Amino acid sequence: MSLLSAEGLVKEFGGLRAIDGLSVSIEDGELVGVMGPNGAGKSTFFNCVSGVISPDGGTVSLKGSDVTGDSPESLAHRGLVRTFQNTRELETMTVRDNVRLAAPDQPGERTLPALLRSGSMQEREGTVRERADELIEMFELDHLADEYSSNLSGGQRKLLELARTLMLDPDVLMLDEPFAGVNPTLTREIADHVRDLNEDGMTVVIIEHELETLTELVDRLIVLQQGQLLVEGDPEMVLKDERVIEAYLGGDAK
Amino acid sequence: MSVLDRLPSGRGDRALIAGLVCLLLGALFAVTPLRAQLPSALYVFVEVGILFVIYGILVLGLDLQYGHTGLVNFGHVVFFAVGAYATAMLTAQDTFAGIGLGYPWPLGLAVGVIAAAILGAAVSLTSIRLRGDFLAIVTLATAEIFHSIFVNFENIFGGNVGILGVPRPIASLVSDSDTRLVATLLVLGGVTLVTLAVVTRLTDAPYGRVLRAIRADELVTRSVGKSTITYKTQAFVYGAALAGLAGGLFALYNGAVAPGFFTIQVTVTVWIGMLLGGAANHRAVLAGLSIIMGLRLISRFALNVTPVSGDVFASIRLIVVGLILVAVIRYRPAGIWGDPQELGVDQ
Amino acid sequence: MGLLQEIIFGLVTGSYIAIAAIGFTLIYGIVNMINFAYGEYISIGAFIGFLAANTLPGPLPVAVVVAMIGGGIVSIILARGFFTPINHTGPVPMLLTSIGLGIVLRNGLRLVGGRSARYFETETSTFQFDAIPDLPVGPVDLLGDFFVTSEQLVVVGSAVAVFASIHLLLTRTDVGIAMRAMGDDESLARVRGIDTQLIRDSVWVLAGVLAGLAGVLMAVQTNVSADTGFSHILQILSAAILGGAGSPYGAILGAYVIGLVLAVSTAFLPSSMTGLSSAVAFVILIAVLLVKPSGIAGTEVREA
Repeated sequence: MSLLSAEGLVKEFGGLRAIDGLSVSIEDGELVGVMGPNGAGKSTFFNCVSGVISPDGGTVSLKGSDVTGDSPESLAHRGLVRTFQNTRELETMTVRDNVRLAAPDQPGERTLPALLRSGSMQEREGTVRERADELIEMFELDHLADEYSSNLSGGQRKLLELARTLMLDPDVLMLDEPFAGVNPTLTREIADHVRDLNEDGMTVVIIEHELETLTELVDRLIVLQQGQLLVEGDPEMVLKDERVIEAYLGGDAK
Repeated sequence: MSVLDRLPSGRGDRALIAGLVCLLLGALFAVTPLRAQLPSALYVFVEVGILFVIYGILVLGLDLQYGHTGLVNFGHVVFFAVGAYATAMLTAQDTFAGIGLGYPWPLGLAVGVIAAAILGAAVSLTSIRLRGDFLAIVTLATAEIFHSIFVNFENIFGGNVGILGVPRPIASLVSDSDTRLVATLLVLGGVTLVTLAVVTRLTDAPYGRVLRAIRADELVTRSVGKSTITYKTQAFVYGAALAGLAGGLFALYNGAVAPGFFTIQVTVTVWIGMLLGGAANHRAVLAGLSIIMGLRLISRFALNVTPVSGDVFASIRLIVVGLILVAVIRYRPAGIWGDPQELGVDQ
Repeated sequence: MGLLQEIIFGLVTGSYIAIAAIGFTLIYGIVNMINFAYGEYISIGAFIGFLAANTLPGPLPVAVVVAMIGGGIVSIILARGFFTPINHTGPVPMLLTSIGLGIVLRNGLRLVGGRSARYFETETSTFQFDAIPDLPVGPVDLLGDFFVTSEQLVVVGSAVAVFASIHLLLTRTDVGIAMRAMGDDESLARVRGIDTQLIRDSVWVLAGVLAGLAGVLMAVQTNVSADTGFSHILQILSAAILGGAGSPYGAILGAYVIGLVLAVSTAFLPSSMTGLSSAVAFVILIAVLLVKPSGIAGTEVREA
């Protein structure tokens, strides 16, 4: 049984099918790349799977249960967390608070423990802060920890978003263009982090345009075109596939 | 460094202690033969001060909704009014018009808070998903609906006369007016300080972090696993319940309620106070409110020395109030003490 | 009084509400703000019309034209002074600013015009329709005698003329077509080379002109005071939202629904509770927002 699978997903926007009968399955511990030309339906696929929008048809299942149309918060509780293509920081909060917020099971997020400053709240807040500081340090954001995240650069925002999702200790991490607009050094750094996480057992799905980094990184590539699955398989093989070269790489092919 | 040291505490707890001291002093004046004497020049200050501490509870509730969570409630007065009417109707004896049941005042106050909270829950269950400016319109319309219900159902709410004969617990204990005013200010001020302590604890805790995250970006907050609708509903209901508390206290201080006390003017005053002081900062919104209500004081004095009529003066005061609202939004959108980066506005 | 008579009142109320609601909803659709000060624009129009009627020679239509021109000028000046500079800040600060501006204008009018209401002196002929059979159902008479005044006919006629002109403007003129394009998608309109600031300015002028007309019509039907417009603002807003905020055609429909509901509820409510009829309009507004937030035809107002 796959960890995450989509069966016959359909999503229409104003009569246009952004995804059209897409079926994809991802195994536990895999590191999968999703690519395709603009408008191929990559982000719509992500949005449907992560609960941001409801698909018009088809099913999504996670760890064997049907999660079609579930809310993003309930999917997060089930261990599926995503990032956004255009990074979405909580700009009016500090880097520290951005990361701390994401911690699950916080007694202090309920009214009574918060008002009474209960022991369980204080204890959990202590571990939350420790873990948040660890992640902030891991992504070398410690010198910015007390800055409002609106002051961060594009690359730093990608790192912060990654730190925030890791706070949830997800089973499935879905990254929407984590290397877009990031300089080469930072790209390598983020790729290294992703590889480490995957080696520690986390399943990762990445949408990316930066092909070189992506093909080096992933175990398997899925190529979408016009909302449907075009080709999937070993990255080297997929990139040599004529359909892919024609549909996606076109004139840009080396 | 232990966890305890790093948790924010201090701020809220100082307010708690100050509030309890005020309540204690107020009780001393009320139940012992201790007497206070006020120079007559101070009367008006104490009277406006009492209204300020009642409105202070209103602005703290509104700030929980708007400043922290981003919910635009432009009918805040309706929760104030419902709390006041519920308390008044439950406790009034020999009211001239409408219903007066004559129950003890603590029960009336509790029902006032609950009634406002229930209305808050009803409004938020139906409308909390609406875009900010539309939530403003729904809350505003709700306030207008209740206003005309209070005016029109004379047999129940007493029409324009309202409910009279509401017990005044402090006045019944203290006969001389100086001591009564001082005791009232201390007791109600104490309640406001305790409220400040409570909301500070709530917003300093991880709970407040979630509220501020919702204001910043609801979708992100959901995608890290927070059930934002629950939090928005709670924040709205807590704000409504606080307004109900303020309403109940107002009824028990004033001894009567009538539609004229609960106009859109109340909503406008607390909104301007909040924006002027700086939303999302409890002490700042109280300070902002004190400035706006101070204006009321100044205008009372000025009225005595200028040759214009009261009506003209009221119009001038409202023009100034309106201009302050416009100017704050344009030139100081984070208010006087608010943090522009925290509120996401250019200064 | 029979229901038929109430329906005539409802159509008249719906007519002046509709004129105002078109202006209100155009501002909403193109400037993207709920303008709570719009009621004061109407009051200002009523005052200008009243002044013109009492100082200028000539019949009432001259005063109406003066009020419309004056309303347009006032509207664009206020927009340039208060709203255009904060256009980028989003709907909530714009709404709050309009509430503040409304307080300033309303009390300014009180200072200048005093608190008492004034009345237009118009010559009215009344057309009586008697001998209509009664059709009582419970306490309510579903038919009954009725009358129509020439004033009422003028109000309804003006409204029809406005609807026709607005329709022509939005479908036949470059400015109107650009307005619709901007209402649909502002960034797309900008890409297509539409001068968005110019269009916004045109909308402000147009909304002011409509407010001027609505102000005089309202004042002829009721009175001229600082509260003439303010006392109708929630009905105008309800009509606009009912019809789908941003849609002028929807606003017309919404206005007549509101007008008829107000009139019919007056007929059905006991006489001691006629004050509740305005509350009925808001109940409808809230119900519409809950059941179909986009209104009868319009845009989405729910988030995420």
